[in-house]
Amino acid sequence: MSHSPAAAASGRPEIDGAVFNPYAKDFIRDPHPAWQRLIRDFPLVWHKDLQMWLVNSHALCDEVLKDSRFTPNFRVWELAPPPKAEADKTDFDLAYEKGFFAVSTKDHLRLRRLTLPAFSRPVMAKIEAKIRDLVAECFDALGDAGRFDVYEAIASKLPVRAISRMVGVPTDREEFFHEFAVNIIKATRINISAREREAAVELTKPGFAYFKEQIAQRRTLPHPGEDFLGSLVGASDNGERLDDYEILSVVFALITAGSDTATDLHTFAIHGLLSNLKQYELLKRQPQLMENAIIELLRYGSFGKIPFFRFASEDIDFHGQTIRRGQAVGVNISCAWNDPAKYPDWNQLDLQRRLDGNLVFGAGAHFCIGTYLVRVQGGLMLSEFIRRYPEAELLDGTGELDYDYRHHNARRINRLVVRTNRVSLQQAA
Amino acid sequence: MKKWICIICGHVYDEAKGMPESGIAPGTAFADLPEDWVCPECGSPKESFEPQDE
Repeated sequence: MSHSPAAAASGRPEIDGAVFNPYAKDFIRDPHPAWQRLIRDFPLVWHKDLQMWLVNSHALCDEVLKDSRFTPNFRVWELAPPPKAEADKTDFDLAYEKGFFAVSTKDHLRLRRLTLPAFSRPVMAKIEAKIRDLVAECFDALGDAGRFDVYEAIASKLPVRAISRMVGVPTDREEFFHEFAVNIIKATRINISAREREAAVELTKPGFAYFKEQIAQRRTLPHPGEDFLGSLVGASDNGERLDDYEILSVVFALITAGSDTATDLHTFAIHGLLSNLKQYELLKRQPQLMENAIIELLRYGSFGKIPFFRFASEDIDFHGQTIRRGQAVGVNISCAWNDPAKYPDWNQLDLQRRLDGNLVFGAGAHFCIGTYLVRVQGGLMLSEFIRRYPEAELLDGTGELDYDYRHHNARRINRLVVRTNRVSLQQAA
Repeated sequence: MKKWICIICGHVYDEAKGMPESGIAPGTAFADLPEDWVCPECGSPKESFEPQDE
């Protein structure tokens, strides 16, 4: 295996899985040696096994994310399946085509403009109240447990239920929505086989049918409602409105942006804080740090193993290399969050860190649409955790931490046991 | 004095407040911000901002 850029015929620097294998167990347990090497030796490199360019430094990731020639539209990908005939297109295909990732820059701005009211303060305040109740329910279910698994009790439950409340799904349909969300995410991944993607697309059909019916019902009402879905149905800009597939594309985007990320946020946030008890103490004393803390905990946890995907919409000369039209570009933002050039003390958790110009929620036109939801959800969960378990610690110092090594996207922690120390506190009282 | 909202991320630039921490004095009109100024939240260009209805 090569440990230096291969002398490829094209003259481009190349690596393979020996340098960066996001599926390797060692990498999932500790990605930092590989990431630091990528940043130092291969800020821009072609990955022969992944068949994509990798952009690894903070500065280059920032540049790619803000350059509209690098599109997130996977239909531009040289290995994308051929376009379907109109008659064969599923609701997934039609929503994708109308969505944030696929439309032109001009249409993207129109979509953002029309959807902005759905993310306005009054709508979000109502959603926050619903998520607050949901967080309390999750913790109430634990009772006076002396220990619990954060993944099982919180991380696997809260995120999708929070999105389902945001989009107005009744509680008895949350499991149904969960299935829809899982399949939506799978259907967008280029790192699984085309067959698996199509199978996932097929399984999204009941979910799309459900939301189409909800939208149709709202359209018959004199006023579509002041919740999130109602705001989208009622959105108007100089007489322009969102059509059904545009509204579905927003739900689609929220799911892809908000569910996986939030699942990992909960486990990695608690792991980060309980592995750095001085920082946990600091957050207890200064809850006003919460918003900064959430971003720093996301950065410190760096749980994404697969880079963001972008595709070159034209031949692009980029820092001495030519990225050909249709080639995939992996924007390795989790790696970039640990770039010593941006964060000299990258391996320290510092809840007071100045995070100007961070890429934690991406950057540029496709800045994460689920930002608010993730921040609110993370903040409410941590506040409740601190309130209930101020003396919490990781069981045996490690939390018996384990990973789902087969997860398609993240270094997913699927076991993290916390000792609550509630009983000892009660006894002391 | 107006407020301007970034339609990408929802960040609000308030002309009355400016952004003193970034060297933009209170009272600085949006139009007077440098052309290469970008949204401090998401990095989008000035064109991504629109006047915010009160």
